[in-house]
Amino acid sequence: MSFNRRDFIKTVGASSVIVPITACAAPSGGRGAGGKARIVVIGGGFGGATAAKYFKIVDPGLDVTLVERQQTYTSCPLSNEVLSGHGKIEDLQSGYDGLKKRGVNVIFDDAVSIDPAKKTVKLKGGKTLNYDYMVLSPGIDFNFSGVEGYSEALANSTHPHAWKAGPQTLALKKQLEGMKDGQTFVIAVPPGPFRCPPGPYERASQVASYFKSHGMMKSKVLIADANDSFSKKGLFEQAWKRHYPGMIEWVAGAAGGKVVKFDAKSNTASSDFNDFKGDVVNIIPPHHAGNIAKSTGLTNDKGWCTVDMLTMESTVHKDIYVVGDSTVHGELPVYGAPKSAHMAATQAKVAVGAIIAKMSGLAAPEPFFVNTCYSVAEKDWGFSVAHVYRKRDGKLVYITDAGGISPVNMDDEVQLVLQRKLESEYVHGWFKNIMADAFA
Amino acid sequence: MKSTLMMVLAAAGLAATPALAGPTEDLASTCNACHGLNGVSVGPTMPSIGGLPEIYLKNVMLQWKNGERYSATMGRHFKGYSDEEISSLATYFSKLPWVPVVQKADAKVIAQGKEASERCETCHGATGSEPDDDETPKINGQWAEYMHLEMLKYRTDAVKMPHRKMRGNTKKLDEADVEAVAKFYAAQPK
Repeated sequence: MSFNRRDFIKTVGASSVIVPITACAAPSGGRGAGGKARIVVIGGGFGGATAAKYFKIVDPGLDVTLVERQQTYTSCPLSNEVLSGHGKIEDLQSGYDGLKKRGVNVIFDDAVSIDPAKKTVKLKGGKTLNYDYMVLSPGIDFNFSGVEGYSEALANSTHPHAWKAGPQTLALKKQLEGMKDGQTFVIAVPPGPFRCPPGPYERASQVASYFKSHGMMKSKVLIADANDSFSKKGLFEQAWKRHYPGMIEWVAGAAGGKVVKFDAKSNTASSDFNDFKGDVVNIIPPHHAGNIAKSTGLTNDKGWCTVDMLTMESTVHKDIYVVGDSTVHGELPVYGAPKSAHMAATQAKVAVGAIIAKMSGLAAPEPFFVNTCYSVAEKDWGFSVAHVYRKRDGKLVYITDAGGISPVNMDDEVQLVLQRKLESEYVHGWFKNIMADAFA
Repeated sequence: MKSTLMMVLAAAGLAATPALAGPTEDLASTCNACHGLNGVSVGPTMPSIGGLPEIYLKNVMLQWKNGERYSATMGRHFKGYSDEEISSLATYFSKLPWVPVVQKADAKVIAQGKEASERCETCHGATGSEPDDDETPKINGQWAEYMHLEMLKYRTDAVKMPHRKMRGNTKKLDEADVEAVAKFYAAQPK
């Protein structure tokens, strides 16, 4: 969607008919003062920020308001590398000046309720916003009751989940740094779908990397998993065997890995069958779509927002387009449609295209979805999963000929080392670009 | 604005497709996440692609798709697109301006790189901005880290890289000069 007027004139040969979108007849929805469609974006993560920016790229005259709680965004991607000391949290942060410069009206406030009938949003600060079209990108919220004995209070004090990057990431890092050789770091993984499918296993790798680089070879990472398999499993297991032999243990759900209870005093996470006692215990609680999506009635019985994948419009309320981690993808399998930054950004672009088409009374354009999700298991040892989705017979499908994970085995060691080295470097270039694509 | 015009024309029945700016532009927007807006990368390990020669872009993308050129990631993406879509992407990105991202480096390193870049000059031009033909990319102001990694691929016999000249010449570089050559070209504004 990088438009260039000169190219357009060259290709189409027309030049003088410039009518802003905002003056086009609207097939639905009310209008603000001056007949301008009002677009409100809730949530300034990868999904929301990308959406706000791309509206402005397509038509700088659009009236776009972004509502976000925090003045500084901290990226979850690469935050596991902050734990191990391989990355710095400052490098994962961005403010919203880039979007403001593009003319996005950024409001730092908390959206407390949406009225989909009246098309209004109430903010905690007292303001009410009217919208004609909304992009809702609320991310996730946690179901703390999913693990008995765990709570938001514990998360904010002694037992950070660090599944939203920020102060909790630094708190968990400090706990890791306080560990002694021979001690155990427990990670409890919630039932899927959860944010960042390979995240817990990357975290285990980064913790082990910390142990290794600090000579703590007797320390262990124990992953107590509610699930029976995981994203990039072959790649992670290969990395663990090579870089951290005997240091990382994975307990599958079927083997009693599903943590349902936590005792903070004894630092013990328990499933129905096992007790996992750790020196640091990192509970990642089960989660669901952001609370605002739930309270607006946009979620299904499992707590996720269902959308029309060709447009990202909610299947519950029209003119609300939901993007990012809070969505589920119809019949696509969980790992075929991961909750990643790249997916959120790609969905945001699809939503922008669909909304602008609708504003102009046109059919939604063909959506293009791609995803690249890198994981870094150790220095110079990165790998990825890629996804390409296309519209086929009126439905969005995962193209099985394309995408997939990095090769696990290669013909020889030289190839393998090169492949892992390249992707361990590419992740950082990807990160800078995707941050800029959303926030700059 | 292009989209605005397109939509107005479409609404008036003047344009054939009801797409926004067109499917190629929409598809190209998915490249931005890694290669930057308008194909100008801001991430040192990812190349800028806007303004590179059409034939070069098309060749590389098709070679990845067909498994004729090693890539760590890109081949997996291009298997999802038709040859026609790939051609359109090449045309689209080739028409964008080439925006060199000039990177500073130690003067000594740049001098060392210039000295060692003699064998690159015939095809890429003295500063990398005037390639000899349409199959050769501009490399002035390309990201040094990306070029360094790319040369690592050419220097590794175990992976398939189709360009014999490029393979031969990068392999002739002294190990110590590879990074310097990358930094020399990265520092060139034009």
